[in-house]
Amino acid sequence: MNCRDVEARIGAYLDRELAAAEAADVAAHLQGCTACGALLDRHRALGAAVREAFPPLRAPDVLRMRVRDAVRAAAPRAGADRPAWWRPLTVAAAVVLVVAGTWRIASDRAAATVVSEEVLAAHVRSLMPGHLTDVASTDQHTVKPWFDGRVDFSPPVTDEAAAGFPLLGGRLDYVAGQTAAALVYGRRLHRINLFVWPERGGAEGSAHDERNGYFLEHWTSGGMSYWAVSDLNRAELQSFVRLLQAAGTPAPGR
Amino acid sequence: MGPTELARFEELLLPHLDDAYSLARYLVRDEHDAQDVVQEAYLRALRHFGTLRGSDGRAWLLAIVGNCARTWRRGRRADAVTTEFDEELHGGEAGDAEAGLRQGEARAQLHRALDRLPAEFREALVLRELHGLSYREIAEVTGCPIGTVMSRLARGRQRLLEALGPGEREAG
Repeated sequence: MNCRDVEARIGAYLDRELAAAEAADVAAHLQGCTACGALLDRHRALGAAVREAFPPLRAPDVLRMRVRDAVRAAAPRAGADRPAWWRPLTVAAAVVLVVAGTWRIASDRAAATVVSEEVLAAHVRSLMPGHLTDVASTDQHTVKPWFDGRVDFSPPVTDEAAAGFPLLGGRLDYVAGQTAAALVYGRRLHRINLFVWPERGGAEGSAHDERNGYFLEHWTSGGMSYWAVSDLNRAELQSFVRLLQAAGTPAPGR
Repeated sequence: MGPTELARFEELLLPHLDDAYSLARYLVRDEHDAQDVVQEAYLRALRHFGTLRGSDGRAWLLAIVGNCARTWRRGRRADAVTTEFDEELHGGEAGDAEAGLRQGEARAQLHRALDRLPAEFREALVLRELHGLSYREIAEVTGCPIGTVMSRLARGRQRLLEALGPGEREAG
């Protein structure tokens, strides 16, 4: 093997990707050739420098949440093992819920169902790439002013990081025929969307719902309508809602 | 997809999120674009989960990330953006001050050279040096023959060495 042969193989030699016989030939040549020995050293140094230039990175927590939520949101549609009769059953279940009087909203019950569908759709939409937040900040004093001039009401913004529900940011959304303020909170890998808009109909009340593995909590207070939605388990979502209510958005009669 | 399938997907693929993100970040560079590429890759992986054979989700996922990054690049070619090498992203601070200067120069030179490498060369280098994949695995991830992987690595390294200045090759 001459220097040219060795030069062509030196990277693969260092990567231990040469066949044994070939590697032995390269090693034998390197023993007697200082020039190729120097080249070997340069390749070694280059490998170290490239590894330094490409250190392993840790994915941001917000990406962790996004990916997990997006996968969960898309999972029911992926693959073919979900039977075709599933959707009508969900609708039937929703109807049963409505008939059973779970909804205590004074206004039209069917409308409430539509609203909870829209809220869930908005939640799932927010999980799509680039849709999470318009203003990404964990600081309530950044997020709250951001809504000034964008909506004609002032959504209450509190950070519940101390209780394990960090504020991640805010976003404008469009739900139930009106502009809504969407506040995004995290809980471990889960994400919670809190939708807020003025309850112009004046209806007071509260409701909860479960759809496609998501939980929804609704209440009205001080002329505002609130919807919290997440794939977080119901108990934790409700404790989140209680935190918000304690922070100054009390719900009647829960 | 049923709940057990979803649980299996999460168990096999979510642990590789850091690897997926690292690859995406070095291929597309912009942090937000990299995040979008990773999320798109996971959604694509979900749709094609049935085609994953065996339990090595890592190489399979990296292949999808590579594909998504290529799609992303094609969408951006029209913009003809010249991406600056992100010093914050690559490597740490210049270390202690005196030794730092010369070392810093060499590092900057390397970074510029990495920047100029064709994306396919850089991809092979990242998969080799960061992810520690074998040539066979890189071939699977990038969908090329092993010979192509070998030549991309060799040519990429050759260009980097040339950029780093004269060596002792004159002898020999």
